[in-house]
Amino acid sequence: MNRLRRTGLALLGPVLAVLVALVISGLVIALIGQDPLRALQVMVDLGDAPSQQVQSIVVILNRAVPLFLAGLAVSIAFRMGLFNIGVEGQYRMATVVSAAVGAAVVLPGPLHVLLVIVVAMVVGAFWAGIVGVLKVTRGVSEVISSIMLNFIALGLASFLLTGPLRGSAEGASIITTAPLPESAWFPGLNGVLGAFGLAEPRTELFGFLVVAVVIGVVISVLVQRTRFGFDLRATGMSASAATASGVDARRMVVTTMLLSGAVAGLVGLPDLLGDAHSFGTEFTAGLGFLGIAVALLGRNNVLGVALAALLFAFLDRAALPLQFADIPASVVTIIQGTIVLAVVVANEVVRRLTLRSAERAGAAATGAPPDPGADGGGPGGGPGPDSGPDGGHRVRTGVPGTPEGARA
Amino acid sequence: MAAAGAVGGTPPVGDGAAGGVPFAVELRRITKRFPGVVANKDIELRVRRGEVHAIVGENGAGKSTLMKTLYGMHRPDEGQILLEGREVHFRSPADAIAAGIGMVHQHFMLADNFTVLENVVLGSEPTKGGRLDRAEARRRIAAISERYRLGLDPDVLVEGLGVGDRQRVEIAKVLYRGARTLILDEPTAVLVPQEVDELFGNLAELKREGLAVIFISHKLDEVRRVADSITVIRRGTTVGEADPRTTTAKELAQMMVGSELPTPETRSSTVRQVPVLRLAGVTVDSGAGRPLVDAVDLTVREGEVVGIAGVEGNGQAELVDAVMGLRPLASGAVRLREADITGWSTRARREAGMGFIPEDRHRQGMLLDAPLWENRILGHQTRPPAARGPFIDRGRARTDTARIMREYDVRAPGPDSLAVALSGGNQQKLIIGREMSAAPRLLVAAHPTRGVDVGAQAVIWELLKDARAEGMGIVLISADLDELIGLSDTLHVMLRGRLVATVDPRQVTPEELGGYMTGARTAAGAA
Repeated sequence: MNRLRRTGLALLGPVLAVLVALVISGLVIALIGQDPLRALQVMVDLGDAPSQQVQSIVVILNRAVPLFLAGLAVSIAFRMGLFNIGVEGQYRMATVVSAAVGAAVVLPGPLHVLLVIVVAMVVGAFWAGIVGVLKVTRGVSEVISSIMLNFIALGLASFLLTGPLRGSAEGASIITTAPLPESAWFPGLNGVLGAFGLAEPRTELFGFLVVAVVIGVVISVLVQRTRFGFDLRATGMSASAATASGVDARRMVVTTMLLSGAVAGLVGLPDLLGDAHSFGTEFTAGLGFLGIAVALLGRNNVLGVALAALLFAFLDRAALPLQFADIPASVVTIIQGTIVLAVVVANEVVRRLTLRSAERAGAAATGAPPDPGADGGGPGGGPGPDSGPDGGHRVRTGVPGTPEGARA
Repeated sequence: MAAAGAVGGTPPVGDGAAGGVPFAVELRRITKRFPGVVANKDIELRVRRGEVHAIVGENGAGKSTLMKTLYGMHRPDEGQILLEGREVHFRSPADAIAAGIGMVHQHFMLADNFTVLENVVLGSEPTKGGRLDRAEARRRIAAISERYRLGLDPDVLVEGLGVGDRQRVEIAKVLYRGARTLILDEPTAVLVPQEVDELFGNLAELKREGLAVIFISHKLDEVRRVADSITVIRRGTTVGEADPRTTTAKELAQMMVGSELPTPETRSSTVRQVPVLRLAGVTVDSGAGRPLVDAVDLTVREGEVVGIAGVEGNGQAELVDAVMGLRPLASGAVRLREADITGWSTRARREAGMGFIPEDRHRQGMLLDAPLWENRILGHQTRPPAARGPFIDRGRARTDTARIMREYDVRAPGPDSLAVALSGGNQQKLIIGREMSAAPRLLVAAHPTRGVDVGAQAVIWELLKDARAEGMGIVLISADLDELIGLSDTLHVMLRGRLVATVDPRQVTPEELGGYMTGARTAAGAA
C-alpha cells in the first residue's frame, strides 16, 4: 500500500465524521425550527470588511492555540494507550500556581516568561505524574484517578485562589490572583500581521502561537523519530510486545504521564500570558475536556490535532454570531458533540478498510493469506490490551473469516 | 497398533440401515482449510448414544478445529455432519445448541458474582411476565442436578466454588439447554486427581441417561479409563479408532505420533564446552500454592540446543519469562556467560546478547498494525541499525528490513507493509530474521514453528540448525515432539514446574517422551 493511499485513508475518517456531524446537526437545527442552511451561512461568515475578517481569524487562532495544546497533551497519552482525562485539572493547577509565582517575582522579560512556562509545565507534570505513579504502584486505572484528580484540582485551585494566592481586593466580584508584571507578558503577533499588510485587529494575536508550534514540532519528532517515541508507540500498539522487546512498561507509564501533564500545563498560558495576565474565577474552563475531542478528531497525529483544534475554534467563534442571528449557540456544542461520536465510528470503519486494503496488498505480494488474529489455542487469552481508548487504534478485534484457531 | 481398526476403506454405513440405531454424531470426510493450512482432512468420527468417545491427538493435531466445526463455530469446507442419522448444517453455535450439542470449554465461562442458578440460566432464562422465573429455574436445575448427580446448590455464588464444582456448573449449563451430546474440551487439564475421579463419575451418569459424550484429551491414561471408544487424530486427519479395553497406552501413543521418523533429523554435535546460559535453582512463584517454576537448574552451552518438553501449562512459559526477565524470580540465579543477570531488565538482557522468539507472536513478537520496518527494530531499538543516538534511523531500518526479507524469504510487498498483512509463516520468518540479525549468544525459541505452514517450518528448522552450528546456544520449547527430538542436543522434560527427566534425544522415542511428560514414566536422568 503506498503512502498516498494510506494518508488518504487516514484523512477519510475525520472528514467523514465532520460531514456526518454536519448532516445530523442540520437535522437538529431543522427540528428546533431554524433553517440549517442559514445557520451554516452564519457560521462561515467571518465578516464583511477585511478588518472584521482578520479579527475573526485572530479569535479563531487564539482559541485554537490552547485547544491544540490540550489535544496534544491527550494525544501523547493516547499514543501509548493511556487515557488522560485529567488535562482539565492539570492545566487549572498549573495556571493558578504559575500565575501566582509569576506575579510574585520580578525578572527581566524573557526569563520571566520562561519561569512561568517552566513552573506551569512542572506543576502539570506533577499533577499528571500522580496518575502515573498510582497506576504502576497500586494498579489504579488512569481513567478513574485522572477524573478524581480533576475534582481535587478544581477544588484545590479554588482554595488557592480564594486563600493564599488571592491577589484581588477583598469583596471584589471577580476573584483573581495578583496580576503578572508586564515583564511576564507574552508579546502579541499583531505586528507580524501588520507586516503582511493585514488590517490591525481589535484583539491581540497570542504570541504563544509560536510556542505551540514549536512544542508541536518537538512532540512530533519525539514521538515519530526517537527511540523514546518508538517505545511509546510500541507500548500503545501492544503492551505485551513492547515489554517483551525490553520496554519497561511501568517507567513508560510514568514518563508518558509526566510528558502529557507538562504539555497540559501549558494549556492555560496563552490566555494567562497574552491576555488575562491573572488567573481568576472567570478564567477559561473546559479546555481539557475539549482537548479529548480534539485528540480524537485529530487521530492523535500532531498535524491532525492542529487541524482539529482549528475546526473546534472555528465552531466556537460561531457561537456569538449565531446568537445575533437568533439561533441558539448550543448548535455549536451539538456539532462538536456529534463530531466526537461520528469520529469514533468513522475511525473504526476506516480501520477496517485499512486492514482489508493491507491484507489485499499482502496477499497480492505473497499468494499467502494474512495471519492477523489466530488465537493462542482456546479462549484462555482473554481480552488483551487491544481496546484502545480511541477505539480506532487496534487491530486485533476478530475480523470475520480469519484463521482463528487454525492450528488448535 | 494391531488393536486399531484403521479407517481406510469403506466406513460402515451409519444411517441406521446397518446398525439399527443411528449414531448420535457422525462426521463424514470433514475437511477444513484455513489459508495456508489444512487443519482437518477427511475426518471420520462416529459417536454412539450412551458412550464416552474420546478424541486424542497431540497439540496442534486438529482436535479443537474439529470440535469447533461440530459446535458450529465455523463451517467445514467439505464433508457431512450427521446427528441421529440426519444431515445438519450449522451456521453458528446457536444452531448447534438447538440441535442438542453442548460444549464445555476448557476455560470456564462463568460470572463469578452470580449464583449457580443465575449462571446456568444466563442467556436462556425462563421468564414469567418479563421477569426471571426463579422458581421455574430452580425446579429445572434441581431436576438436572438430581438426575445426573451433579450435587449443585443453585443459590451459592460461583466465586466461592472450587474448580470441580465450576466444571459441574458448566455441565449443568449445557444440560439445561437440552444438550444430548456433550463436548468436553480437555476437561481434566485444570483438575486435581480426586476431581478427575468425580468428573468421571458424572460422565458415567450422563452415559447411563443415554447422552453421548465427546471427550477431548491428550492424557492417554485418563482416556483409557473413561472412554468407551477412542478416535485418534494425527496431523489433521483421523488415523483410526481404538478400543480402550484392548489397546495399551503405548499403542495409542504410537498412533498419535505416527511411526514415521522425526523430520528435523539430528546432525553431528556442535556442542562446545563454554556455557552460555546457566540457571541455578530458578523458582517462580504463582502467588499461591506450588511454584510455577520450581528450582530449575539448566545449562546451555555454545552450539547446543537444549530442548524442554512438557505438556503445556507445566511452567515452560514461565521459565521462558524468567530467562527473558519478564517475570521476577522468587529465588535462584540466571547467568549469561560470566555475568550474573538475575536482576537485569529485559532490555539489558537483550543488549547483552539474548534473542527471543516468543510463544505467541501476536502478543509478544509483533506490532500488528505497524509497518514491517518497525517490527524489524522491535526489541532492537537501542542498537544499530535501528538507533542513531537517541533517534531511530528510519532509512537504515528500512534497508535492513529489505535485507531480512530477502535473506529470510519473507514474502511481503515491502518494508512499509503492515505486519498484519503477512501470513503466520512470513511473520515468523521476519521475527527469526530480526533475532538472528543481532547475532545473539543465546536464543530463547518458544514454539518457533507453531501456526506455521510446512514449508516455513522446514526453513525455520534449517535456520535454527545453522545458528547452532555457528555456536549459538538455543533454548527450545515446543509441543512438537518430533521437533524437540530432531533439533535438541539435550532434552529435558518439565512437569509441574520441575525438570523431572533428562533424556538423550538420539535414543528417546516420542512415546517414552510422552510418558515422562504426563508423569506416567519417571526416571532420574536417563542420559
